Amino acid sequence: MAKLKLPPRGEATAEMTRRGFLVSMTAAGAAFGFPRAGLAAMDPAAPDGVPATPAGAVYEPSLWYAIDAEGKVNVNIIRAEMGQHVGTAIARILADELDVAWEDVSITHVDSAAKWGLMVTGGSWSVWQSWPVYRQAGAAGRMALIEAAAAKWGVAPSECTTQDSRVISGDRSVSYAELVSEGITRSFTEDELKALPLKPASELRLVGKDVTALDIANKTTGKTVYGIDAKIDGMVYAAPLLPPTRIGSTVASVDDSAAKSVKGYLQTLTLDDPSGTVPGWVMVIGETFMAAQRAADKVKVTWKAGPTATVDEAQIQDHGRALIADESKGSILDTGNSDTAPVFEAAADQISAEYTTATVLHFQLEPLNATAFQNEDGVWEIHTGNQWQSLILPSLQAALGVSADEIVMRTYMLGGGFGRRLNGDYAVPVALASKALGGKPVKMVMMRPEDVLFDSPRSSSVQALKMAFDADNTVIGMEHHATAGWPTEVMVPSFMPKGTNGEPYDPFAIAGADHWYSVGAQKVRAISNDLANTTFRPGWLRSVGPGWTNWALESFMDEAAHKLGRDPLDFRLSLLTAEGRNAGSAPNAVGGAKRQAAVLQRAAELAGWGSDLPADTGIGLATSFGQERDMPTWGACAARVKVDRATGQVTVEKLHLVVDAGIIVDPDGALAQTQGAALWGLSMALYEGTEIEAGNVRDRNLDTYTPLRMIDTPDMDVEFIESSEVPVGLGEPATTVVAPAIGNAIYNAVGVRLRHLPITPEAVLAGLKA
Amino acid sequence: MTSFTINGKVIEVDVEDDTPLLWVIRDEIGLQGTKFGCGIGMCGACTVHVGGRATRSCVTPVSAVAGAEITTIEGLDPEGAHPVQTAWRELRVPQCGYCQSGQIMQAAALLQDIPEPTDDDIDAVMTGNLCRCMTYTRIREAVRDAATAMKEAASNG
Amino acid sequence: MIKRILTGGAALAVLGIGGFAIYAWHPAIDEIAPPSADSFPEAQIEKGRQLASAGYCASCHTSADGAAYAGNYPMETDFGTIYSTNITPDPETGIGTWSLAAFERAMREGIDRDGAHLFPAFPFDHFAKMTDEDIAALYAYLMSSVEPVKATHTENDLPFPLNQRFLQAGWKMLYFDKGQYEPETDQSEAWNRGAYLVEGVTHCGACHTPRNAFGAEIATQQFAGAAIDNWIAPALTSDNPSAVAWNKDAFFQYMKTGTTTYQGSAAGPMAPVVHAGLKDLPDEDLLAIATYLGDQVGADDMAPMSNPAVEKSLAAGAPQADYRKEEGERLYATACAACHYNSVQIAEGRPDLGINSAVRLDDPTNLVHVILDGVHADQGMEGVVMPGYRSALDDQQIASIAAYLRDSRTDKAPWVDLEQTVTEIRAQGALAH
Ligand code: FES
Ligand code: FES
Repeated sequence: MAKLKLPPRGEATAEMTRRGFLVSMTAAGAAFGFPRAGLAAMDPAAPDGVPATPAGAVYEPSLWYAIDAEGKVNVNIIRAEMGQHVGTAIARILADELDVAWEDVSITHVDSAAKWGLMVTGGSWSVWQSWPVYRQAGAAGRMALIEAAAAKWGVAPSECTTQDSRVISGDRSVSYAELVSEGITRSFTEDELKALPLKPASELRLVGKDVTALDIANKTTGKTVYGIDAKIDGMVYAAPLLPPTRIGSTVASVDDSAAKSVKGYLQTLTLDDPSGTVPGWVMVIGETFMAAQRAADKVKVTWKAGPTATVDEAQIQDHGRALIADESKGSILDTGNSDTAPVFEAAADQISAEYTTATVLHFQLEPLNATAFQNEDGVWEIHTGNQWQSLILPSLQAALGVSADEIVMRTYMLGGGFGRRLNGDYAVPVALASKALGGKPVKMVMMRPEDVLFDSPRSSSVQALKMAFDADNTVIGMEHHATAGWPTEVMVPSFMPKGTNGEPYDPFAIAGADHWYSVGAQKVRAISNDLANTTFRPGWLRSVGPGWTNWALESFMDEAAHKLGRDPLDFRLSLLTAEGRNAGSAPNAVGGAKRQAAVLQRAAELAGWGSDLPADTGIGLATSFGQERDMPTWGACAARVKVDRATGQVTVEKLHLVVDAGIIVDPDGALAQTQGAALWGLSMALYEGTEIEAGNVRDRNLDTYTPLRMIDTPDMDVEFIESSEVPVGLGEPATTVVAPAIGNAIYNAVGVRLRHLPITPEAVLAGLKA
Repeated sequence: MTSFTINGKVIEVDVEDDTPLLWVIRDEIGLQGTKFGCGIGMCGACTVHVGGRATRSCVTPVSAVAGAEITTIEGLDPEGAHPVQTAWRELRVPQCGYCQSGQIMQAAALLQDIPEPTDDDIDAVMTGNLCRCMTYTRIREAVRDAATAMKEAASNG
Repeated sequence: MIKRILTGGAALAVLGIGGFAIYAWHPAIDEIAPPSADSFPEAQIEKGRQLASAGYCASCHTSADGAAYAGNYPMETDFGTIYSTNITPDPETGIGTWSLAAFERAMREGIDRDGAHLFPAFPFDHFAKMTDEDIAALYAYLMSSVEPVKATHTENDLPFPLNQRFLQAGWKMLYFDKGQYEPETDQSEAWNRGAYLVEGVTHCGACHTPRNAFGAEIATQQFAGAAIDNWIAPALTSDNPSAVAWNKDAFFQYMKTGTTTYQGSAAGPMAPVVHAGLKDLPDEDLLAIATYLGDQVGADDMAPMSNPAVEKSLAAGAPQADYRKEEGERLYATACAACHYNSVQIAEGRPDLGINSAVRLDDPTNLVHVILDGVHADQGMEGVVMPGYRSALDDQQIASIAAYLRDSRTDKAPWVDLEQTVTEIRAQGALAH
């Protein structure tokens, strides 16, 4: 696991750049590294997912792309496609700098060969990390093509320009295709790369414009190939039987006698998992999917359940409260001054509140699946949709007992990720089953209840917030204590930074609490809920911690404003002063809290903040910086709701969202991501949420789990602030502001303060009666 | 043996009567554009047309469709140019795309029965189709656009 | 189709009277050499074919995996199982050696060629109403066009003394009226033709008229509706609960297509009655039946769209933002509304459940059956299916959908013990219909 450490952001980008060019300097090589790469679904625009073979001579200025003799540019993408059109966004950055016609561009989602380096798609980082790398790669290619044309014509490179896949000088012009077929071998040193001129923002032709994503057409004709569509000759199917607890269960007995009458039933495997990923699993093997399922219904397994078989949600939450009460627990984040005790002692007044959120399921629409086998070259192939290949590969190696170069993952299109497929645990039982069958191809598609049972849900959370005021009602101190199950601790502990007290913490489970409000002394304490961690396997779910920290923070900001008798907008703006550590820094957080204040103000203005509203109707505000302090996406939401006093029903009439994400590379994609993220926020605010019951989640399918649907979708208005700052992520940030905006709107409508997510009509009614 | 027509071709399959049509379409016939989401008729990912009506194939036993005519996303239009598909592309509705075969089949059936749907009509019919990427805003718009396109095509034709 | 019926044999228990054996005795009729196929005129054969369809002969005389008309279709009774007989012209195991006279006696009196009494699961009480000509046509069709199949009759699984066929005579003595159909002079020709078909060959009353404890139709309650094969055969009178009353046009559309826009679809045992039976009759016969049945209901010809019940039903189906408040409504919105929702008018094949008879019957059986096992392509509207939620939803969830519909779409009393009903119907198995 130690090898897995994700380098800090800046380093990750530098690493991508360096690696990309080192490879090109040694050998141009084939565009696709692994044998039989064509068997995976890698080109989302090809009907079978198989990338086209490059025609004729190929020029590969960097690992990230190749130009062939027909001028076709194939861009290698290490990110997973799960609806964010990431390949298109990245290819567009490159195509813009390379000056290639968009029709000539295709993309390949690559396999997990070592040369690609760390492969992870999450945290809304993809565009932000790729931006400098692919621009530079494009500029290098363009330079090489210009130099080749200049040499051909005997003119200086400075006399040449490029446009639409051609180099032009005076009235001469030559296509990239021609230049490449004549042979280009130019490579670059690191110094040359650094000196490459990049286009100024004003000359970008594709970035910031609408182009249709390469993956969209196939998604309207059913041709997109997802993991669930993987087909390998001779494959058999596995239906899993899951143990009563996620951790610590063992199989006591297996009786498959009743299954023997099922046509197509082959055998039942009790998995032995050296990687410890799927303890207590049994896999029923059949010739067809249905045969495996029918047989699985008839196989009787008895387990010795693990220690968490009786744990429920209330126990986990009570445990969280006890952890918060114990000052010795947890990790203190570096907020400049976290010595709040004297401030609170001296405070003229203070306010405190507790906020909770329920367990939430990913419920990505494509149920978990994977296919595994050993190919003719003896290499184990794992075919599946995955967001973090680098994380699960070591587990797969341990499970199979093989070295890194004996295994490769081929990533298919994902029928939804939302963080579920960051954790690739579902591939492990399939690899084990194939191993038990001597490398025979095995495909597992989980039925929905198993998918949900095996989910890594968003943990429930408990948070305690306090704010201190001086005699003038000025904010002088704040504390934010948050506890939840920690995905990073469970899945990649080496990834946890240490707090000021030397204790490690899960940055994804606390981000958001370390906000940009200037509040004087500020203590942010993150506490791992170990009972949650051992009962289920907490997961990263769209926006992760900011999904609950901002619920607490932004509800609390309103509570504090109301306590002081101040307007919640003015109160916030008075704290978003962009001073000290909140002033921001280049390149990612230029402007700091000022930009947050700006989006908030704009959202309030658009929603008509302060205007008269009908009875039982209210507008609520909330703002956040998205995911993390070192990559802030400034966002604000104004929600208008109407509350039915008789039923407690909350109707969201309108959502206004304002986002400042720097340069918007793909405007339409940015809008789509923001719409989706905001609706996730709404769904988790009002409609989603389950509970742990007897060691597992209570709701297993859509008959009882009730995410947002068409009819629940309110009118939505999204505005992006025009900016020339670094583009930052958009996949998650809007998720974080919707729930608190709704909570605050309900308070403004009917005076009821809700402190638990999801907000149910029952809770609203109870508040109205109280 | 159950025999039926799928995308204009008569086929015969030899599976147990209670095998869900979805798995017959995906695994026996090999048309994988129809997706599996929930298996209990509540997400719509598996929607196909049977006799021109949108039908959730995960809860339809294959024996039920003996003799019927089935259309899947692959057969909706030979060029993938049904007005609903065109509207979907123009408005760039799909995100992950996994629900979209079902959404498109449901929307196409909706417009057949209710050629000029109101927002209420769209809500009532399309609410059964879950989109976990939450592309609902665009689906709604695309249904309206497709309705307009179909109306224009009808009046020009 | 009737597969579950009281054996008339129940009657025997009370009939110990003297002289009964003599009354019950009938002679065998001599065997004949099987007549050749070309000994019957084409037109007669064709007529016989239509009548065989309209009388659903094949439905009861064909087992699940057996040849047509070769019998052994199991009919459950409260006492045991009766297997239908082989009516192919096979000389050994079928009716190949039956003369027309033997056939006619069976049709009119329920007595086979050997002289043995047939159980009234065979609706000879209706067939007796048929004309000589029609019976002869049926005979011609069976003898000439049905493939002879050697298939030995499976012994009925009835306990003694119910298995004593001669005791059926007692039942006949009490309940059987032998006469042919007599036209009613004050009615139209079409009406009389319809009545003849309905009372005779199509034997509608066999399912739609309640039976007494001995399995005989109760004459005073003709067409009042009855439970049959674990389904409900709704009333064909003004008591029918459909919100838009059945009339001649509706009956005609239903028999022609298996469904009506405003009343319901032919599911369960009614499906083959339409699709494997009535549909083969010429339109004028269907119109005649529709005329007669329409008169039984006595409905007016109000245009259904302006019917307040339709308007109410459409309004009740409008989407509700707070659809999550009750489980039944929430499940309906996600699993059912995509197909059952109607906008300003009711589209064919989108049954609007506020007016559908299944939601309005006193007994939820039919609705529960359909939610559990759907409607197949060869039932209801041909080529269209409704999925089944047997493996998707549990009893309580199905009950909650049914309760929601009953409550939100009708003004009728709630159904009681719904969940229990679902449990029972589920236990009958997916192929109960
Ligand atoms: S898979 Fe059929 S409705 Fe969800
Ligand atoms: S586009 Fe992803 S589920 Fe709808």
